[in-house]
Amino acid sequence: MPTDTKRVRGPEVSQSPSLVTSKPAAALPSSGPRADGRQRDQVDVRPVFVRCGLVSQAKGSAYIEAGNTKLMSCVYGPRETERKDETDMKCGRLTTDMRFAPFSCPERGSWIQGSQDRDFSLMLYESLQPAVCLHKYPRSQIEVSVMVLENGGSVLAHAVTCASLALADAGIEMYDLVLGCSVRQDGASYVVDPTYAEESGGSCGGSSEDAGGVTVAFLPSLNQISGLQSDGEMAGETLTAGVRTCIEGCYKLYPVIQQALLKAVRKAAPPPSES
Amino acid sequence: MAVDMRLPTVSKTVSLSVSAFDRKDLVVPGDVITSDTGFMRGHGTYVDEEKLTASVAGEVQRVDKLICVRPLKTRQVMSPKPFNGEVGDVVVGRITEVQQKRWKVETNSRLDSVLLLSSVNLPGGELRRRSAEDELTMREYLQEGDLISAEVQSVFSDGALSLHTRSLKYGKLGQGVLVQLSPSLIKRQKTHFHNLPCGASIILGNNGFVWLYPTPEQQDEEAGGFYTSLEPISLSDREVISRLRNCLLALATHKVLLYDTSVLYCYESSLQHQVKDILKPEVMEEIVLLTQHKLLEQEG
Amino acid sequence: MATVQVSEAEKVYILHGIRDDLRVDGRGCEDYRHMEIETDVVSNTDGSAKVSLGHTAVLVGIKAEIGKPRPMVPNEGYLEFFVDCSANATPEFEGRGGEELGTELSNTLYKVFNNKQSLDLRALCISAGEHCWVLYVDVLLLQCDGNLYDAISIAIKAALFNTKIPRVHISSDEEGGKEIELSDDPYDCMRLQVESVPCIVTLCKVGHRHVVDATLQEKACSVASLIISVTHKGTVTCTRKVGGGSLDPESIFEMIEAGKRVGKALHAPLMKLLQQEESLGKKRQKVGFLG
Repeated sequence: MPTDTKRVRGPEVSQSPSLVTSKPAAALPSSGPRADGRQRDQVDVRPVFVRCGLVSQAKGSAYIEAGNTKLMSCVYGPRETERKDETDMKCGRLTTDMRFAPFSCPERGSWIQGSQDRDFSLMLYESLQPAVCLHKYPRSQIEVSVMVLENGGSVLAHAVTCASLALADAGIEMYDLVLGCSVRQDGASYVVDPTYAEESGGSCGGSSEDAGGVTVAFLPSLNQISGLQSDGEMAGETLTAGVRTCIEGCYKLYPVIQQALLKAVRKAAPPPSES
Repeated sequence: MAVDMRLPTVSKTVSLSVSAFDRKDLVVPGDVITSDTGFMRGHGTYVDEEKLTASVAGEVQRVDKLICVRPLKTRQVMSPKPFNGEVGDVVVGRITEVQQKRWKVETNSRLDSVLLLSSVNLPGGELRRRSAEDELTMREYLQEGDLISAEVQSVFSDGALSLHTRSLKYGKLGQGVLVQLSPSLIKRQKTHFHNLPCGASIILGNNGFVWLYPTPEQQDEEAGGFYTSLEPISLSDREVISRLRNCLLALATHKVLLYDTSVLYCYESSLQHQVKDILKPEVMEEIVLLTQHKLLEQEG
Repeated sequence: MATVQVSEAEKVYILHGIRDDLRVDGRGCEDYRHMEIETDVVSNTDGSAKVSLGHTAVLVGIKAEIGKPRPMVPNEGYLEFFVDCSANATPEFEGRGGEELGTELSNTLYKVFNNKQSLDLRALCISAGEHCWVLYVDVLLLQCDGNLYDAISIAIKAALFNTKIPRVHISSDEEGGKEIELSDDPYDCMRLQVESVPCIVTLCKVGHRHVVDATLQEKACSVASLIISVTHKGTVTCTRKVGGGSLDPESIFEMIEAGKRVGKALHAPLMKLLQQEESLGKKRQKVGFLG
């Protein structure tokens, strides 16, 4: 292999300068109000901004913004399925794809879908599937894609909300909306809808027993949990309490999402016929 | 809850009969069976330089001048080799596809078997004519995933089996348990349907699929075997069926031929153990040994 | 995932059986199938284990290599998981067929070990910021008959118990350069503390009840299951709902409770067995793959 001897080449792997400059993971205070002024140990979700129908070419689309977390979701279909070899033709197929923009996190990501993205896609799929009336769409497929523009924490939870909103906007039959909420447990206290710093910086105490995150996808009208994921080490009671808190958080989001959807429907509705 | 963890042990087959190691009639592909040209070439053999050579691993069988090699197919319970059906065999199979005028049935053979719409008894008696409407409602009688018992009617030239259910004993199977075993372990008998005295019934399909079900009280003739009751089965019946299932697996693990007597003896031998314990290796060994003793006693 | 077909009537039979706490193979709702565990089965690894649970068989091999610590945590080593669904297990896995399941499984394993207590990662550090041990945990599915998660987690725990990492000494010369020396004595090695490595319990919701260690047939009757990884102290390190259905919050809480109870009870017999095997040492007759 010919090598370029004329110039000094840079290192093969590069690192973000933030790793060098900042002190390693400044421990966040585990008591007192949070950095953005919200309260600890209370179901204090970030105010969300949601809007439907921002991508005109998609069947349905939605945008959600909560603090610094910004996501958009598009729904294409239902259309005839490509894979004919599927034996089960009675039900439609739902596909999900969730990606992070390379600039969405403090460290640059790659465009290629990593295993983490694939994991998120799967979680998204499992959270949405119970809500969609797939039996009404035999032999067809519905594609949901979510793009994370800025990762400001609780990405999966907001992705679920955003995707269900886009599905509703696309006019896909659903039993219920799916809302997501996550909780970060940090020792004895917890924070709802954590920011990116709270998600990655917390649990620096090291020895604390209860440190972890819970994300729940919830169907509010049917009172069903369609997605649940947790990591970190927690006692069983803490986990159950976390799930309850998440459900409460979802109920807080519910009216906002309903409003946004209603607004989109009103906008799209033709003027009532004169008769 | 119960969990049983242990170190693995080298498993051995318990057998009172002649060890397979002493048998002379077992060959592997390439073995010369005979160089005598007076014999005819049967299945599982080929002629190479006038010598009759085996092409499968198995047992040499001679019928008059015809020499065949029958594959043993007793490798493992989980992966039985395909079964080559003969006319009159009783099989248990699963519907894989509903086509025009016929169903495709998975019967553990090389190719999927075929059940023609004209070879089933539809509700309303034998003389009923098959209308175009019947073709459209085929899925109501049997749909994908359903289990049936049937008899081999004929064998197509490519080896696929054509089945029929033109008897009240055949038809769709209701609630019960399917056990998939190696076809060679099923002993050929006059009847493969048995109502065991222990309170359950068994269909020993020649294809290695064994169906265990609660003994029906009375056959409903009008439905032509397409009606299945979804009423809950009593706990005592379930226990018998589960015990039989585990006994079948135990017998199959130790390569004991399966027929009504062997199954029944095994059931009796297992009674001192809990149903879930039967599959533990040492219990399995004990039960199978007991069964074999009983079988030997019975033979004389 | 390897799937089986089950007819409606069979489903009803399985469902009613679970309702009565008598499953098709005679087990109760919280019983495991017979499990066999053997460690040190592949000599080229630093630690290995084979677990068979019913007809499910899993082989785990662990290789330790020297790498560079992650910049965020300079004083810790790390684990890498890879799950291979070989076409041996089922023809469905041929080509790229098993890839999806493989990533799902390995991603879950990363989550299960994503906490400070499971394994002392600081013990894997050789010199902070420069060298550390990287444990490559490779999981191979040999046969699939349901309940992969539980079998894999038990195999990983057994393999980690079996892992022997050679001891290294760091010598620095006068100029401040460091050199890593590997111990010549093959018996001079470091063992891992596996006490708090969690085990995964999969609970399948069938009808109104849930079962552990579901067979493929039972899995076909279930709409959703919950996997939950539990340490010997009864703390939960990962939960996850899998499958297409949704669950009532109350039943999730019940399942967490049951999972905790079952998972906690798995550790003691496992550790006892591993220590027993260890104490037998070379006397033990190796069984390998043809048990």
